[in-house]
Amino acid sequence: MHSTHYDACPECDLLLRAAQPNIGEKAHCPRCGFLLSRPRKQSIERTFALSIAGFISFFPANLLPMMGITLLGNANTGILMSGVIALFNEGMIAVAIVVFLASILFPLLHICLSLLISGHLYFNRPHRHLIKWMHCMHHLDEWVMLEVYMLSIIVACVKLMALAPLEFGWGLYAFIALIIITTLLSSNLDEALFWQRIDQLGKENQP
Amino acid sequence: MKAKKNALAQGFMRCHDCGYLTKTIDQHSLCPRCDSHLHARRPRSLQRTTALLFSSFFLYIPANIFPIMTVNQFGAGDPHTIIGGIIELIDGGMVPIGLLVLVASIVVPSSKLVGIGLLLLCAHFRWQINARRWTVMYRVIAFVGRWSMLDIFMISILVNLVNSGSVQIIAGPAATAFAAVVILTMLAAENFDPRLLWDNQQNL
Ligand SMILES: [Zn+2]
Ligand SMILES: [Zn+2]
Repeated sequence: MHSTHYDACPECDLLLRAAQPNIGEKAHCPRCGFLLSRPRKQSIERTFALSIAGFISFFPANLLPMMGITLLGNANTGILMSGVIALFNEGMIAVAIVVFLASILFPLLHICLSLLISGHLYFNRPHRHLIKWMHCMHHLDEWVMLEVYMLSIIVACVKLMALAPLEFGWGLYAFIALIIITTLLSSNLDEALFWQRIDQLGKENQP
Repeated sequence: MKAKKNALAQGFMRCHDCGYLTKTIDQHSLCPRCDSHLHARRPRSLQRTTALLFSSFFLYIPANIFPIMTVNQFGAGDPHTIIGGIIELIDGGMVPIGLLVLVASIVVPSSKLVGIGLLLLCAHFRWQINARRWTVMYRVIAFVGRWSMLDIFMISILVNLVNSGSVQIIAGPAATAFAAVVILTMLAAENFDPRLLWDNQQNL
């Protein structure tokens, strides 16, 4: 059947003619207002470039000290991982795992997956795991919480400034860069286009 | 009159994972594009959402009663609950930050619990409502959930930095309960299918 000429709204199940908005335009569901599609200029190229930039900035953001505080002569510096370890040492294992996943492992996985997928699409290389990677990335998206972490840093800074002077390290600037890159990345990644390209690649390479 | 504009009523199912539309209503078929299982609606949406909602509701009580962190200063412990920490911020003159934490750790989780509860009641009892408005409410609930992790991340930063022999911050049992509440309500929102709201409307 000609099912590709139609589209269904994921939130109200209205059957629609597949909208083909131009780049820069948005298509909303006429019944519930859901954002159906928002094509991006050079989505694959930009996603690929941003994934590389995100991958590079991930390491300074995680390895360089973010901030330091001197309390009663004792100097302490923090990186993302040291917060996880401190929680773990206090026996808050479940919380430590949640913080580790949401602020370190899932962001890294998300960047790696978008790098792999956009890289394969950019060079027109089919791969048998492309579909699996897309599924993983789709499910990870909600659990990457870097921007929430940034807000926590701000609140923690305000609380700590009452106690003692704070110093900010290069890790924090790299972390801010990482957040900007991942935000741009998710706004440039057009999932519908990616699925179409994966489908095409699969069909072209079938014997 | 049952809504005829629905894709399901016309024999189409949309893949949850890749968005591909297939002309079938066979609940055992696979998506031709990505091989996931096709479902007309999220499977057992109401049961799953109800179970997750009740679990998070019961965990929300210890999350607010027990201390979320303890400030040890020169041997004397000073435990804070979630609300206690906010009151201290506001008393200390940090009103905007206090309000921010109030929204993220009290207003958002509690209104999420009420909101998801209302969505469930509405879908179950087939209330005739303004479905568009309720879908917007669902979207807001699904969007704001992650921001409640604010308190949890803040504790991990404070526990790490404030640790100097005589002054120390220790995480309390409420942190575990609160993290569980945030995750469970996020899962509950993810499992709720807003199309159920539209299915029940008679005059579309
Ligand atoms: Zn819609
Ligand atoms: Zn699919």
